[in-house]
Amino acid sequence: MEILGNIIIILGIIFMLFGVIGIFRYQNFFVRILIASKIDTVGALTVVIGLAVKHGFSFFSLRVVLLLVLMFIINPMVTHIIARSAYESGQNIDGSVDDIEEGNE
Amino acid sequence: MYILWAMLIFLIPYLVLIVRGPTVWDRILGMSLVSTKIIIIVIIFSSLNHLDYLTDFAIIYVLLGFIVTFFITTFLVTRKKREK
Repeated sequence: MEILGNIIIILGIIFMLFGVIGIFRYQNFFVRILIASKIDTVGALTVVIGLAVKHGFSFFSLRVVLLLVLMFIINPMVTHIIARSAYESGQNIDGSVDDIEEGNE
Repeated sequence: MYILWAMLIFLIPYLVLIVRGPTVWDRILGMSLVSTKIIIIVIIFSSLNHLDYLTDFAIIYVLLGFIVTFFITTFLVTRKKREK
Protein backbone atom coordinates (compact mmCIF):
# COMPACT_ATOMS: atom_id res chain seq x y z
CA MET A 1 0.00 0.00 0.00
CA GLU A 2 2.87 2.33 0.90
CA ILE A 3 4.86 1.57 -2.25
CA LEU A 4 1.78 1.89 -4.45
CA GLY A 5 1.15 5.36 -3.02
CA ASN A 6 4.73 6.38 -3.69
CA ILE A 7 4.54 5.20 -7.28
CA ILE A 8 1.38 7.22 -7.88
CA ILE A 9 2.99 10.31 -6.34
CA ILE A 10 5.99 9.98 -8.64
CA LEU A 11 3.59 9.64 -11.57
CA GLY A 12 1.95 12.90 -10.47
CA ILE A 13 5.31 14.62 -10.34
CA ILE A 14 6.02 13.50 -13.90
CA PHE A 15 2.69 15.00 -15.02
CA MET A 16 3.64 18.26 -13.34
CA LEU A 17 6.94 18.20 -15.21
CA PHE A 18 5.00 18.08 -18.48
CA GLY A 19 2.89 20.99 -17.25
CA VAL A 20 5.97 23.08 -16.59
CA ILE A 21 7.43 22.22 -20.00
CA GLY A 22 4.08 23.00 -21.63
CA ILE A 23 4.13 26.51 -20.18
CA PHE A 24 7.36 27.55 -21.84
CA ARG A 25 6.80 25.67 -25.05
CA TYR A 26 3.87 27.75 -26.31
CA GLN A 27 3.89 31.53 -26.50
CA ASN A 28 0.22 32.01 -27.31
CA PHE A 29 -1.71 32.70 -24.12
CA PHE A 30 -4.76 30.52 -24.76
CA VAL A 31 -2.76 27.45 -25.77
CA ARG A 32 -0.57 27.94 -22.75
CA ILE A 33 -3.48 28.25 -20.36
CA LEU A 34 -5.09 25.13 -21.78
CA ILE A 35 -2.01 22.98 -21.34
CA ALA A 36 -0.63 24.35 -18.12
CA SER A 37 -3.87 24.24 -16.17
CA LYS A 38 -5.08 20.88 -17.43
CA ILE A 39 -1.84 18.98 -16.92
CA ASP A 40 -1.05 20.73 -13.68
CA THR A 41 -4.47 19.88 -12.29
CA VAL A 42 -4.10 16.27 -13.33
CA GLY A 43 -0.63 16.13 -11.80
CA ALA A 44 -1.83 17.66 -8.57
CA LEU A 45 -4.77 15.26 -8.38
CA THR A 46 -2.52 12.27 -9.04
CA VAL A 47 -0.24 13.31 -6.21
CA VAL A 48 -3.24 13.74 -3.90
CA ILE A 49 -4.61 10.32 -4.90
CA GLY A 50 -1.20 8.83 -4.22
CA LEU A 51 -1.19 10.37 -0.77
CA ALA A 52 -4.66 9.06 -0.04
CA VAL A 53 -3.63 5.56 -1.12
CA LYS A 54 -0.45 5.83 0.89
CA HIS A 55 -2.35 6.45 4.10
CA GLY A 56 -4.95 3.75 3.57
CA PHE A 57 -8.20 4.08 5.51
CA SER A 58 -7.70 6.83 8.05
CA PHE A 59 -9.07 10.24 8.89
CA PHE A 60 -6.17 11.83 7.03
CA SER A 61 -7.05 10.17 3.73
CA LEU A 62 -10.71 11.10 4.27
CA ARG A 63 -9.72 14.78 4.36
CA VAL A 64 -7.42 14.30 1.40
CA VAL A 65 -10.29 12.76 -0.60
CA LEU A 66 -12.45 15.74 0.32
CA LEU A 67 -9.73 18.04 -0.95
CA LEU A 68 -9.47 15.89 -4.06
CA VAL A 69 -13.16 16.35 -4.85
CA LEU A 70 -12.92 20.09 -4.22
CA MET A 71 -9.87 20.54 -6.42
CA PHE A 72 -11.53 18.43 -9.11
CA ILE A 73 -14.40 20.93 -9.19
CA ILE A 74 -12.60 24.19 -8.57
CA ASN A 75 -9.50 24.03 -10.74
CA PRO A 76 -11.30 23.79 -14.09
CA MET A 77 -13.62 26.54 -12.90
CA VAL A 78 -10.70 28.84 -12.19
CA THR A 79 -9.20 28.17 -15.59
CA HIS A 80 -12.51 28.80 -17.27
CA ILE A 81 -12.93 32.12 -15.49
CA ILE A 82 -9.47 33.28 -16.51
CA ALA A 83 -9.90 32.27 -20.13
CA ARG A 84 -13.38 33.76 -20.44
CA SER A 85 -12.45 37.08 -18.89
CA ALA A 86 -9.26 37.22 -20.97
CA TYR A 87 -11.30 36.76 -24.13
CA GLU A 88 -13.94 39.24 -22.99
CA SER A 89 -11.37 41.96 -22.37
CA GLY A 90 -10.09 41.86 -25.94
CA GLN A 91 -7.35 39.26 -25.85
CA ASN A 92 -7.88 37.50 -29.18
CA ILE A 93 -7.25 33.83 -29.79
CA ASP A 94 -4.29 34.48 -32.09
CA GLY A 95 -2.59 36.56 -29.42
CA SER A 96 -3.32 40.00 -30.83
CA VAL A 97 -5.01 42.41 -28.43
CA ASP A 98 -7.65 44.74 -29.83
CA ASP A 99 -8.29 47.53 -27.36
CA ILE A 100 -11.48 48.87 -28.85
CA GLU A 101 -13.99 46.16 -27.98
CA GLU A 102 -17.52 46.91 -29.15
CA GLY A 103 -20.54 44.83 -28.32
CA ASN A 104 -18.77 41.79 -27.02
CA GLU A 105 -21.25 41.47 -24.14
CA MET B 1 11.43 14.40 1.73
CA TYR B 2 12.65 14.60 -1.83
CA ILE B 3 9.05 15.22 -2.93
CA LEU B 4 9.05 18.56 -1.11
CA TRP B 5 12.19 19.65 -2.90
CA ALA B 6 10.77 18.50 -6.23
CA MET B 7 7.66 20.59 -5.59
CA LEU B 8 9.71 23.67 -4.68
CA ILE B 9 11.82 23.30 -7.80
CA PHE B 10 8.62 23.08 -9.86
CA LEU B 11 7.45 26.34 -8.28
CA ILE B 12 10.23 28.42 -9.84
CA PRO B 13 9.06 28.21 -13.51
CA TYR B 14 5.63 29.45 -12.53
CA LEU B 15 7.19 32.43 -10.72
CA VAL B 16 9.24 33.14 -13.83
CA LEU B 17 6.02 32.97 -15.83
CA ILE B 18 4.43 35.53 -13.48
CA VAL B 19 7.36 37.93 -13.87
CA ARG B 20 7.92 37.44 -17.59
CA GLY B 21 4.36 36.83 -18.78
CA PRO B 22 3.57 39.23 -21.66
CA THR B 23 -0.09 39.75 -20.81
CA VAL B 24 -1.86 40.39 -17.54
CA TRP B 25 -3.71 37.13 -17.92
CA ASP B 26 -0.48 35.11 -17.96
CA ARG B 27 0.26 36.56 -14.58
CA ILE B 28 -3.13 35.64 -13.20
CA LEU B 29 -2.77 32.16 -14.61
CA GLY B 30 0.64 31.87 -12.99
CA MET B 31 -0.78 33.05 -9.69
CA SER B 32 -3.52 30.42 -9.71
CA LEU B 33 -1.03 27.70 -10.65
CA VAL B 34 1.34 28.79 -7.88
CA SER B 35 -1.51 28.59 -5.36
CA THR B 36 -2.34 25.05 -6.56
CA LYS B 37 1.31 24.13 -6.13
CA ILE B 38 1.38 25.55 -2.63
CA ILE B 39 -1.63 23.40 -1.75
CA ILE B 40 0.26 20.31 -2.86
CA ILE B 41 3.30 21.33 -0.83
CA VAL B 42 1.14 21.83 2.26
CA ILE B 43 -0.55 18.47 1.81
CA ILE B 44 2.72 16.58 1.35
CA PHE B 45 4.23 18.39 4.31
CA SER B 46 1.28 17.47 6.50
CA SER B 47 1.46 13.84 5.39
CA LEU B 48 5.21 13.55 5.97
CA ASN B 49 5.13 15.06 9.47
CA HIS B 50 1.81 13.45 10.42
CA LEU B 51 0.19 16.81 11.15
CA ASP B 52 -3.42 16.10 10.28
CA TYR B 53 -4.84 19.58 10.82
CA LEU B 54 -2.85 21.13 7.94
CA THR B 55 -5.11 19.48 5.37
CA ASP B 56 -7.99 21.68 6.59
CA PHE B 57 -5.87 24.69 5.76
CA ALA B 58 -5.24 23.30 2.28
CA ILE B 59 -8.96 22.81 1.67
CA ILE B 60 -9.67 26.40 2.66
CA TYR B 61 -6.80 27.59 0.53
CA VAL B 62 -8.30 25.92 -2.56
CA LEU B 63 -11.51 27.91 -2.06
CA LEU B 64 -9.56 31.07 -1.30
CA GLY B 65 -7.55 30.76 -4.52
CA PHE B 66 -10.73 30.42 -6.48
CA ILE B 67 -12.33 33.47 -4.89
CA VAL B 68 -9.22 35.62 -5.34
CA THR B 69 -8.91 34.73 -9.01
CA PHE B 70 -12.59 35.35 -9.56
CA PHE B 71 -12.55 38.88 -8.18
CA ILE B 72 -9.29 39.85 -9.85
CA THR B 73 -10.58 38.81 -13.25
CA THR B 74 -13.93 40.51 -12.67
CA PHE B 75 -12.13 43.69 -11.71
CA LEU B 76 -9.91 43.58 -14.79
CA VAL B 77 -12.79 42.99 -17.17
CA THR B 78 -14.97 45.76 -15.73
CA ARG B 79 -12.00 48.14 -15.59
CA LYS B 80 -11.47 47.73 -19.36
CA LYS B 81 -15.17 48.33 -20.02
CA ARG B 82 -15.15 51.43 -17.82
CA GLU B 83 -12.20 52.89 -19.79
CA LYS B 84 -14.18 52.94 -23.04
